[in-house]
Amino acid sequence: MKPIAAWLAGAALAAIWTTAGLAQDVIFLSTQLRPVEEATKVRQVILKGVGPVTYAVEEPSPFQTRMDAETQAGKRTISLVGALHGELQPLVNSKGLSPVDDLSAKAKERGVPDALMALGKLGGEQQMYIPWMQATYIMAAHKSALAHLPAGADVNTLTYDQLKAWAKAVQEKTGKRALGFPAGPKGLMARFFQGYLYPSYTGGVVSTFKSADAEAMWTAFKDLWQHVNPNSTSYDFMQEPLMAGEVLIAFDHVARLKEALNAAPNDFVTFPAPAGPKGRGFMPVIAGLGIPPGAPNRAAAAGLIEHLLKPETQVAMARELGFFPVVKAELPSDLPGGVKLLVEGVAKTQTAKDALPSLLPVGLGAKGGEFNKVYMDTFQRIVLRGEAPRAALDAQAATLAAIITETKAPCWAPDKASNGPCPIN
Amino acid sequence: MSVGLRRVVLWSGVVTLCLWVLVPIYLIALGAFGGRAGVFRWPKSLLPWDATLASMQTFLAVEGVGRAAVNGALVAALTMLLSLALGAPAGYALARYAFRGANLFRLLVILTRAFPLAILALPLTVTFIRVGLYDTPLGVALVHTALALPFAALVSASLFMGIPRELEEAAWVFGCSRLQAFRKVVLPLALPGLAAAAIFAFVISWNEVFAASVLTVRNKTLTAYLLTVLAESPLHYRFAGGFLLILPSIVFIFAVRKYLFAMWGVSNK
Repeated sequence: MKPIAAWLAGAALAAIWTTAGLAQDVIFLSTQLRPVEEATKVRQVILKGVGPVTYAVEEPSPFQTRMDAETQAGKRTISLVGALHGELQPLVNSKGLSPVDDLSAKAKERGVPDALMALGKLGGEQQMYIPWMQATYIMAAHKSALAHLPAGADVNTLTYDQLKAWAKAVQEKTGKRALGFPAGPKGLMARFFQGYLYPSYTGGVVSTFKSADAEAMWTAFKDLWQHVNPNSTSYDFMQEPLMAGEVLIAFDHVARLKEALNAAPNDFVTFPAPAGPKGRGFMPVIAGLGIPPGAPNRAAAAGLIEHLLKPETQVAMARELGFFPVVKAELPSDLPGGVKLLVEGVAKTQTAKDALPSLLPVGLGAKGGEFNKVYMDTFQRIVLRGEAPRAALDAQAATLAAIITETKAPCWAPDKASNGPCPIN
Repeated sequence: MSVGLRRVVLWSGVVTLCLWVLVPIYLIALGAFGGRAGVFRWPKSLLPWDATLASMQTFLAVEGVGRAAVNGALVAALTMLLSLALGAPAGYALARYAFRGANLFRLLVILTRAFPLAILALPLTVTFIRVGLYDTPLGVALVHTALALPFAALVSASLFMGIPRELEEAAWVFGCSRLQAFRKVVLPLALPGLAAAAIFAFVISWNEVFAASVLTVRNKTLTAYLLTVLAESPLHYRFAGGFLLILPSIVFIFAVRKYLFAMWGVSNK
């Protein structure tokens, strides 16, 4: 028995030693830039020379659990959090964020647009997060597919009808359904419906959910789906099927296309998502930086925010990670091939004449997941299972109405502003 | 059936089973050492012509991997010791003493596995922060022990039941105290089986992600550290990470393989 006792004692000692032997560093917890390569770049390039910072990454669900647990226990280990707008929103209600009004003047000075700063108030009076970086969704295509573009179509000003004709032509010529969407379990397909398809066809997201326009839209999308690769329902990231040549045309978040574009920058083109009758919907994605109340080292966290908003840091983020500056910063012309393609795609999206920006859902709090599910369920019922659009829309609209009633969320762009909860017409 | 035919059937079965286990591991290794381009090449080459250490090196160079590996091993070792220290006496009691509610106890002991950790995560984390176990290997090991305990208790119960009571009684007759009889007679016989229960505990701890990631910030175990980022990494990294994660399990199981047979009572016969 003796060796076992010695073992136990040794292990316990080691356990104490590992906890006690820590430097007084600042913990920066982020739900963004999680993949190994990106986290390494954050540690080695972005955070280089700013003092002892532990950059920890976590998926959104454990992130919420941890923040809530630290709030309830009244003891913080985390000084700075970085997360998407929608992930920071629930922290306001659960008291996981403290106001950062003292940092907002500096951020404005650096050129963060007022619209982004306003998002950082999360529906309240005080600044709850400072915008950190932005991204959006674009389309990418293999150059070999360009030959099959329908006559008269410009890849940069596609409409959904032209996209369908294009995918059909590619299918006829190559025999494969070469259009792909990230409709897998971890894919971001719900954002395609909320930020792209719905605004483009109906000019709204919530108020027009079951309109006649929406009915026509789903009918058209179901028609388009005949030419979409059936594996789409298992794609989480489009970069892999693009690299493997399984799909030739794809829609996804820029960070989820980056690998393919970096691997073969000369083989791909990037362009905005198609336009519908009401315009070319697109959804900017904003990540922000916040400081929990009672953070162990608020001063250092504020210093980190300051560092991350420096123009040179923001340019480095674009170059290394494919996320775009929120401050005024000139991107250099010698960007690596893949990032350059991304920058072009995003620029073409933002400056398109018919661009119709949509905000991320605002005011839904913890109901964001259920909100996404409404759109994914509607998609499954109409497109995958072939239910009649009218019946499916009416049924799903009831679920949507329940979420909106419960959260009392007013309409957000592109829906027209409303007094009180956003109506579903 | 002739002897020759029987042998053919036996060996083809053996080969099939081996391939069943080894081919996926080989393919993972191939992906891990094939580099970024190798993963996407089609048709795949089954021979490691273009083996490169690049992705493995990047992986091992990721800040914190070494520390996470140490933490993972520490947590697994602690889990092994704690679940054995608590589970073996429970198993002995179940096997040797008839007491009211023994069957109920058997059932209840499995109950710790009935609650999904995701539901327990919040209250557990809050309690751990208050008690001061948050972000310590010991804290994670305690949760893993709770998960491994039912197996340790039930496996050792059936183990002790398989050791004849008469041997113990004979030791008492010859002047051993209860404790001495246990140490000198029962324990040597039970050791291989206990080792198997310990392996179970080790593997349960090594594979557990949720508790390990929520209950720690700096001191993540290797599995928690890698798995949270693997699902969203490029394919060749997934292979490299997967290979890195199965390697310790394979080495460990290989090292203790002869005890593993004890679970099916092979080595005692």
